[in-house]
Amino acid sequence: MIKIKDIEKTYSKNSVETKVLRGVTFSVQRGEYVAIMGASGSGKSTLMNIIGCLDRPTKGQYELDNINVLQLDDDAISALRNKKFGFVFQQFFLLERTNALDNVLLPLIYTDEYPADAIQQARKLLVNVGLGDRIEYFANELSGGQQQRVAIARSLINNPDVIIADEPTGNLDSESAAEIMKIFSRLHEERRTIIIVTHDRDVAGNAQRILELKDGQIKG
Amino acid sequence: MTRVIRIIKESFRMVRNNRLRGFIMILGIAIGVTSLAMTVCVSVGVYENVMETVNKQGPDLIQVRPGTDKFNSPAAGSREAVSLRDEDYEAILQHIGNIDSISPVKDRKEIEVKYEDKNTHTRIFGVNPIWGRVRDFNAIRGSFITDEDVASAARVCVIGQIVKKNLFGDADPIGQTIQIMDVPFTVKGELESKGTSSEGRDRDDRIITPFTTYNMRVFRDSPLSQIVIKVKDIDKLYKTVEDVQAVLREQHKIETGEPDDFTMRTPQDLIDMAYGTSRSLIKVLTIIAVITLLVAGIVIMNIMLTSVSARKSEIGIRRALGARKNDILNQFMIECIILSLMGGILGTILGYCGAIILSNLDVSASNLTPLALAAAIVSCCLIAVVFGIYPARKAANQNPVDILRG
Ligand SMILES: Nc1ncnc2c1ncn2[C@@H]1O[C@H](COP(=O)(O)OP(=O)(O)OP(=O)(O)O)[C@@H](O)[C@H]1O
Ligand SMILES: [Mg+2]
Repeated sequence: MIKIKDIEKTYSKNSVETKVLRGVTFSVQRGEYVAIMGASGSGKSTLMNIIGCLDRPTKGQYELDNINVLQLDDDAISALRNKKFGFVFQQFFLLERTNALDNVLLPLIYTDEYPADAIQQARKLLVNVGLGDRIEYFANELSGGQQQRVAIARSLINNPDVIIADEPTGNLDSESAAEIMKIFSRLHEERRTIIIVTHDRDVAGNAQRILELKDGQIKG
Repeated sequence: MTRVIRIIKESFRMVRNNRLRGFIMILGIAIGVTSLAMTVCVSVGVYENVMETVNKQGPDLIQVRPGTDKFNSPAAGSREAVSLRDEDYEAILQHIGNIDSISPVKDRKEIEVKYEDKNTHTRIFGVNPIWGRVRDFNAIRGSFITDEDVASAARVCVIGQIVKKNLFGDADPIGQTIQIMDVPFTVKGELESKGTSSEGRDRDDRIITPFTTYNMRVFRDSPLSQIVIKVKDIDKLYKTVEDVQAVLREQHKIETGEPDDFTMRTPQDLIDMAYGTSRSLIKVLTIIAVITLLVAGIVIMNIMLTSVSARKSEIGIRRALGARKNDILNQFMIECIILSLMGGILGTILGYCGAIILSNLDVSASNLTPLALAAAIVSCCLIAVVFGIYPARKAANQNPVDILRG
């Protein structure tokens, strides 16, 4: 469902050009669980942002469900993010002074098909990630692991095609990380497509396929 | 639930989440709107006052007076004091078409009046009935002089309360005969008490007689003290003023370039007089309102800009989760408008209180009119939009990746 071809990304800062991605090509099938690994600064986040339509490549082609993503305008891209992707970030990125339930409901503000049972859905997702007793808690009243589980519930509320997780366990201790990875494995069993970036070999081991990003290209 | 409603709800939630920011913004706007609401209340109050004066005296009225002072009669015995004559009145009657009714006015002060063994000195007026209506002199007992009284030069009169007291005490004057300059007049009415005029004249110390009677039986050949003209077509009032002026200049044989020896008082003069010092007060208030509203706008802009940078990650998160640029813009604008309206409501209430305080200081201020409310609401929304749009745009145009990378 994801087809990426010859993607290049060049950053220019102070008139110095840095070519971070130098022709990345790969595909992801529906229901696949893929891990991307690579050294720090190798461009993993850059690639993930391009896949998640948060950023545009300098060059290359990107097809998502046979849609030529790079042709879309900003509004259409926003709608695409809302409909097709669930994001989980290393820094959680929950809204502060906002309870777990409202955080999970956030993507539904921007959807075109608001479900009648939105609140029940959100509650169920929170229960499923083990936060049934934390629904009314504000983000800052939750532990890192709990915050990341809220973020996962939020990434699922729109029933996305692809879950994009950029180092979801990067800020967590090994115990919380293990719980998060268990949730991802379960989502994989539910036939969700997952792309995860990680430094951790053990974490990557959960995936079906590991892609290695090196010198701006995919190896392996 | 449509997208717009969801965003409005979210805006309300964010307003609740940022109380301190909201409080400062509400205060900023409230100060601006207070001065605006006060200005409107005072302006409307003064305007109503002016219009009441004008309407009472007649918005369709022209008063011709001898001399050049619009509000004071010329000094007795001066050449100007006798510039307006019966022939002028007749010429106006003959040449001016746009007249609904007209009254020549003559009066003399310190005239001896007798009833049985009592006597007093008072001011005698000779007028047509229209004069009573336009000057708001009405009979509270008996009746005012009528057109028939004028037509037949009847020896009837209407007396003021002071005259009644001096001649009759507590007795009923109606139907009694009094002597004015030894001419017998039947009292047919009592004037309602008017107190002292703004020029300090006691307006109850007077006797009103029909113009014809006054002219033929009491004081022959005296000058007119005024001509009151009620126009037929109010839209042509100022044209009629010019026509009357032309007729009188012709009558008085005033050469081109020479000044008039008479003046005409129009509703506009009444408006000018009634405004008096209030005009400059309204000007000052308006300037204060404009300045404070501007300051309110700058407060909004400043707080919004601060808020946009403080809420960068929120914006980034929303954009990542599918908010369009416009959704962000709308959210920030709605938040801004919500706070502005709250400030506007507070300001309107404060402004109303301020207007009440001013009205205790002898400035006429109206109640909270729909106009004041509308002005407050419209100005709030306007300020919110004008000064909020730039920060909101700035929020919407941020690149989500840049925000999320920190
Ligand atoms: N906006 C930017 N402007 C200039 N250079 C950038 C920008 N964003 C990223 N880079 C550079 O691109 C390179 C890749 O960054 P990226 O964040 O993709 O690496 P990463 O593989 O995710 O690293 P890590 O494992 O530390 O998260 C880095 O050298 C970084 O300095
Ligand atoms: Mg990274």
